[in-house]
Amino acid sequence: MVCALGIEGSANKIGIGIINDGKVLANVRRTYITPPGEGFLPKETAKHHREAILALVQASLKEAELQPSDLDVICYTKGPGMAPPLLVGAIVARTLSLLWQKPLLGVNHCIGHIEMGRLITGAQNPIVLYVSGGNTQVIAYSNKRYRIFGETIDIAVGNCLDRFARIIKLSNDPSPGYNIEQLAKQGKQYIKLPYVVKGMDVSFSGLLSHIEELAEPNKRRNKRKKPTDEAEKEPEYSKEDLCYSLQETIFAMLVEITERAMAHCESNEVLIVGGVGCNERLQEMMRIMCEERDGKLFATDERYCIDNGLMIAHAGAEMFKAGTKMPFEDAFVTQRYRTDEVLVNWRDD
Amino acid sequence: MPEQAVNESTLRLPFDTPQHAEIAYRVLSVDQEPRRNFVRKTLSLEENVLVVQFSADQVKNLRTAISSFFECLLLCQDTIRLFGDAGTQPSANSA
Repeated sequence: MVCALGIEGSANKIGIGIINDGKVLANVRRTYITPPGEGFLPKETAKHHREAILALVQASLKEAELQPSDLDVICYTKGPGMAPPLLVGAIVARTLSLLWQKPLLGVNHCIGHIEMGRLITGAQNPIVLYVSGGNTQVIAYSNKRYRIFGETIDIAVGNCLDRFARIIKLSNDPSPGYNIEQLAKQGKQYIKLPYVVKGMDVSFSGLLSHIEELAEPNKRRNKRKKPTDEAEKEPEYSKEDLCYSLQETIFAMLVEITERAMAHCESNEVLIVGGVGCNERLQEMMRIMCEERDGKLFATDERYCIDNGLMIAHAGAEMFKAGTKMPFEDAFVTQRYRTDEVLVNWRDD
Repeated sequence: MPEQAVNESTLRLPFDTPQHAEIAYRVLSVDQEPRRNFVRKTLSLEENVLVVQFSADQVKNLRTAISSFFECLLLCQDTIRLFGDAGTQPSANSA
């Protein structure tokens, strides 16, 4: 039996979770929400996390009805992510580890998502599509590593969605992606957008520039270009149609590379994790592909898809059970931390 | 060009107990200064006082290093204040 407390703060969510032997005891979270048209910046996000984190630790202990002495290990997100918000979680984790005299473990954020998805859905050895604001990867397990089969070569899929939401001034509450999903339901006309799959990899930045041009035809992007005398052009397409077309195009790209990974690994399970993974249209498209191949789709809801402390606690507990130890001096944070750097010593298959 | 003098600053931060000072010392010693910051930071302990020395060629680098150090220090102090007694004396002093 391992009881673990996990602290996650790699992006604009700060979350604390407590798990005891695979049983969820607490999962609390706060999100830093910026005004429409604005993204979250590292410094301001860190400030938000500093102001929220201690109350969340208290709330999680209360929800779990535990004393600090009941815990076996403290876990925190070591990376990848933005350094200033990551550091907030790390400082509190280190301090609690020394105060309560509990071992400390740094967890890879991507591994946290994968292990949480496997725990909640019961998927055994799935192809993992990890899609969020900062990451886009197709992952398969082989020989003690989660190996990256394909990924984005520029921006993450969630970043593409977030930035498009900023262009058309959608609210960031509860999340930009959710609001795009709602608008897309009213879209009627499909607008052809660049579809960029390169082997197992995908690219979204060209697509984003293209759709930006469609959404704001009058914005002067090139400063050297002389303003034309033409009358102001009205945007040709509605926001609903743009959202709908954007989702259909980028999700089709993701389904394509996931299907190729399934064929390559001869796997018939797909697990979607990460913040974009709670998009129901993506789940629907992936489900159709899986059914055509006699496969099965596993997905979770926003409690476990979107960044949370619980996934860090769970992945940390798995590492702890397998005997992983981390010297205190190594409790730093790192903005770059690849999924395949972690030795998966808790899986024997 | 004449050799530039080094800008220095020393912080002396007292804690309630030497134990708490040691915790802060260990927590705050982990992070290295960013390489491009050109600031040297050394932490040491004198009983219940945490001593932090900064030195840099440029004053502006010194300022950023100290202010980001303070952000971490304040968070660490708040954590100690809030959870410091909870581990050893269950239910006592918890908010």
